Amino acid sequence: MRYEYTVETEDLAKYYQMGEVVVKALDGIDLRIRRGEYLSIMGPSGSGKTTLFNMIGGLDRPTRGRVYIDEVDISKLDAYELAWLRCRKIGYIFQTFNLIPVLTALENVTLPMIFAGVPREERMRRAVEILNRVGLGDRLHHKPAELSGGQQQRVAIARALANDPVIVLADEPTGNLDLHTGLEIINMLRQLNVEKGVTIFTATHDLKMIDVSDRIVWIRDGKIDRIEKRVDVVVGMEEV
Amino acid sequence: MSKSTVESREVKFPPSEAFKFSIESIRRRFVRALITAISIVLGIAFYVGLRTMSDIMIFIYGTSEAAKSYQLWMAIISLIVCAVGILNSMLMAVTERTKEIGTMKCLGAMDGHILMIFMFEALLVGIIGGIIGAVIGWLAGVLIYVGEYMNILFSPALLASYVMRIGEGIAIAMILTVGATIYPAYHAASMDPADALRFEL
Repeated sequence: MRYEYTVETEDLAKYYQMGEVVVKALDGIDLRIRRGEYLSIMGPSGSGKTTLFNMIGGLDRPTRGRVYIDEVDISKLDAYELAWLRCRKIGYIFQTFNLIPVLTALENVTLPMIFAGVPREERMRRAVEILNRVGLGDRLHHKPAELSGGQQQRVAIARALANDPVIVLADEPTGNLDLHTGLEIINMLRQLNVEKGVTIFTATHDLKMIDVSDRIVWIRDGKIDRIEKRVDVVVGMEEV
Repeated sequence: MSKSTVESREVKFPPSEAFKFSIESIRRRFVRALITAISIVLGIAFYVGLRTMSDIMIFIYGTSEAAKSYQLWMAIISLIVCAVGILNSMLMAVTERTKEIGTMKCLGAMDGHILMIFMFEALLVGIIGGIIGAVIGWLAGVLIYVGEYMNILFSPALLASYVMRIGEGIAIAMILTVGATIYPAYHAASMDPADALRFEL
């Protein structure tokens, strides 16, 4: 079934008790992300971007509100179903790449397919295909320590796409990369978004992300400040 | 809009794949595994050596010459020290790999899968350390008497007890290593992915 909205959040809130003080990391977020959309969450440090990433990615439970992935309320999932969701429906990309250091690029990409029960030959074939697509066909057997930051992030992208997820979540994907490499990664994400129709959700403070996003959600102090469409932002900047 | 629930679908991590992963983890972190193995080798060698010498003496002179209980206690305590060392080493290993564990959970790994990985690693190190330790211990026990009792040392009854002692040594090594790893592995398996990913060493 194809759902119009890949992700929906309803009054999402996350509060932390720090001694006497309650920190409101998220304070009522209502968001709907369309299938195939490229959405960026932008805001200063501490605005709640990573918390929102964790909520949507099923990595943490909200204090209030709900998250729906493909119309399924993820708080109702048990451990098995949650693991399955993370394996098959969601791909994750992190600022620090988070590749498994003891595995080669190829093995890093086949790992999620092992969890998905894909037979050996097929997962090898698909992994090689995706790694070629991100331009690492000649580095299949390199370990992360033998790859540059940009290359590691490309392996991470390949890994995120291994099981054909409905959404890819990226938390500061260009945070540890220089300007030029960051741009490569951003463009690659956009190309893959267009080619495969996979929804992309980025939490970032890299302004270069604005150019490729369909919508930009500005977040501050755990609340949505405003939502802009790329078209509007570009036009706005031209007026300046 | 109606919200449906997802059918039960499972993430698979066949033991063969977990095993391969464990082997790769050990290979990549060889020195750490080596140190753990050496501590097992020493503890087991001491125990097996003592028992072998005791068996030989009993065989030749009767039970009055069995190893004294204080000697056995020394060997047992050294095994306990060994186990504590393994516990510490494994706790450090789990802490160092916190991000890795968080990442694997993002890929779909369940708590039981993480547990399996660490337990396999413990098993491997335990078996290898146990075999080496037991053989060294046995050799030491036999070589001490090789001058005086050369002919008797390899009589069939003694050979049978040698095999049993070595087997016992290997079994103890495996039980010790796996036992000492249960708590660290359980701690690794129950890590919350959001916290694990945020972890800085």
